[in-house]
Amino acid sequence: MADSVAEIQKAKKLYFFIGMLLFFFTVVTVLVATVEALDFGDHGFDGVDATIGLIIAAFKASLVMIIFMHLNHEKPLIYFFYGLALLMAFFCLWLIGWSKSDPIQFGNPTKVDGFYNPANPATDVHD
Amino acid sequence: MEIPFVVNARKDTGLNNSKVGIWLFLASEVTLFGGLFSGYLFLRLYADYPWPERALPILPGLINTFILIGSSVTVVFAWAALKMREWRKFQVHMSITIACALGFMVLKAIEYNAKFSHHAVRISDSGPVEGYGILEGHKKKVVLEENDRLHVVHKENGKYPEESFDANRIVFKASEMTFTLTRPVHDAFVIEILKQAAKRDSKITLVEDYAVMDEDQIGKDGAEKTKVLKAGDELTTDALDKAENVFLDSRAHDSAIRTNFEKASWAWIRDEKGIDKPGYNIIDLEVWKERRKEDNEKLKPLMIGAESGITFRVEPALTLILEPSWMTSNGRNTEQLKLRDDTVIKGEMLESPMILGVDAIDFSFTAMRAREQGLDPAAVIEKSWIVQEPQLKAIWENHQEWLKGETARLAKKDREPSDLDKYRVTWQKIVAYGQAKEADPDADLAKMAEEQTLALPGWLDGFAGADHYNPEMVKHFPEVSIPRDKVDFESTFTPKWNTYYAIYFTITGLHGLHVIGGMIVLGYYLFFGRKMYDSNPDWLANRVEVGGLFWHFVDLVWIFLFPILYLM
Repeated sequence: MADSVAEIQKAKKLYFFIGMLLFFFTVVTVLVATVEALDFGDHGFDGVDATIGLIIAAFKASLVMIIFMHLNHEKPLIYFFYGLALLMAFFCLWLIGWSKSDPIQFGNPTKVDGFYNPANPATDVHD
Repeated sequence: MEIPFVVNARKDTGLNNSKVGIWLFLASEVTLFGGLFSGYLFLRLYADYPWPERALPILPGLINTFILIGSSVTVVFAWAALKMREWRKFQVHMSITIACALGFMVLKAIEYNAKFSHHAVRISDSGPVEGYGILEGHKKKVVLEENDRLHVVHKENGKYPEESFDANRIVFKASEMTFTLTRPVHDAFVIEILKQAAKRDSKITLVEDYAVMDEDQIGKDGAEKTKVLKAGDELTTDALDKAENVFLDSRAHDSAIRTNFEKASWAWIRDEKGIDKPGYNIIDLEVWKERRKEDNEKLKPLMIGAESGITFRVEPALTLILEPSWMTSNGRNTEQLKLRDDTVIKGEMLESPMILGVDAIDFSFTAMRAREQGLDPAAVIEKSWIVQEPQLKAIWENHQEWLKGETARLAKKDREPSDLDKYRVTWQKIVAYGQAKEADPDADLAKMAEEQTLALPGWLDGFAGADHYNPEMVKHFPEVSIPRDKVDFESTFTPKWNTYYAIYFTITGLHGLHVIGGMIVLGYYLFFGRKMYDSNPDWLANRVEVGGLFWHFVDLVWIFLFPILYLM
């Protein structure tokens, strides 16, 4: 972490640059969602747009963590705390995703048309 | 007492204690928000209705993203200023950070307010499928005219008439009401009914005496019941309370006798008949059933047996204006209403439509249900009540015209319209169709869609949604009278409406609390940090760094929330 005056002055430039980068990628995310020329995949919102949006968000979050939160200069103990928490959070998300991919109950998970697709619509509709 | 290791690092961890503390706290925050994001994923993947995609206005969310990113930069600048011993610069950067936090909360409040005042109604009649179409908009205000009909009123001098009420009430001409004494929770309803009766000079009086046998008179020859209330007594909360108390006492007396008989029978079947089995086996035995029959005959003369209902007559018949949420009946029985306390009001349902300034039509759910049943969504939608209503029909026809052009335009790019395009008519489209037809009644919307010349309102025209205070916009939102029997469910855009708004308010509400918490902590350093700065500037710098870490985390959460809630 920057400690001397010269280092801090240098770091300030980096913080400003990262701030601008975050602004830029926010605009990119909105453009991908709203401008037709940048609408990848099918017309309108779909899995491709979701993936792009989340990749950009993850990149922005990484910049905040590494530069603003000084994770690029931290001690191993901090990585341990943070890594464990992230692991827990990802496990929760994976668990939900995994339950949805159960082919016995939910039919073919690749058949995505924007609507709920139960294997047997007569019996599998959840109220 | 001196707190150790607030500036210098401990040898074992290589960190000062404040930093270890904040990172442990942030780790717990990661798991908390991780759990909430999992909750979001769960609700979205398992939603049994089409998830509202891009349902929120983007601009407030986008500005808030800029605000939080900007404040993340200024908070780190504030820390750098302290490290360089520049108090004035620290003050400037920290002030900007706090101003950003305030700005964020103001925008959030505007956004929430728009949701609290915007309504959605499920229309029950969706033709051959068990689905519903949705109408969105703002409820109108009405007054009840002399002829018991509702009349829409508008603001005069910035105010609605005093006697006006939301155009979503049940209007019922009551001639008789029966209160159930087993549920003594009538007060709120009775007070409101009496208030309305006083306004309209109606009298609510007891039909028959309410009389109950005194406990010590039971079994005596010539004993008479004591009159608790007399026929003709007026309805008051006190009168009802009196009847309720007497009824509850008599019921307690009867229950005690019944229990004693049952206990005796239980002992008899065990001791005399030698049957010692659990209760659920005994109740099926013939011997038990016969014994209970005998018990019931013996019980009768010992019981008080007070009436559990008490009926009042309303003269002249009173036109009541009641909240739909008061009812357990759905308003489809036109001769009788049932309130939540089981009070039954008899009379005649008057026309009680919900009158809505409609700013969006949504058939996504109808389409989903139609597809599940192997039906053509378009054919199903054509049969729904919404498309039969003349004003909404005109909008839907305009939309179909636009969709034709849009389909042709997209076909040239090997694409096709999304379900959102097909089945949801947004307020922007309603305004655009209206403006196009206003400029030229013969405007070809299909051609305009194909040539992309149809001008949709911009982001600033409806900052937090359709602007119902702008007359130029409102004139395109038809005032639709929805018959009571078509209103399946109505709500503002709050957790009551669907799981999307439940998770939206949960996550953004919790995030908002974090913003407020961060603002308080950083504000403390700004306004009360000078003394610490003068005594030990590194200590304050460390504190600001720790507060800043929390602030960056708040920004980090929003970085994910913005695309997930506003763009997906």
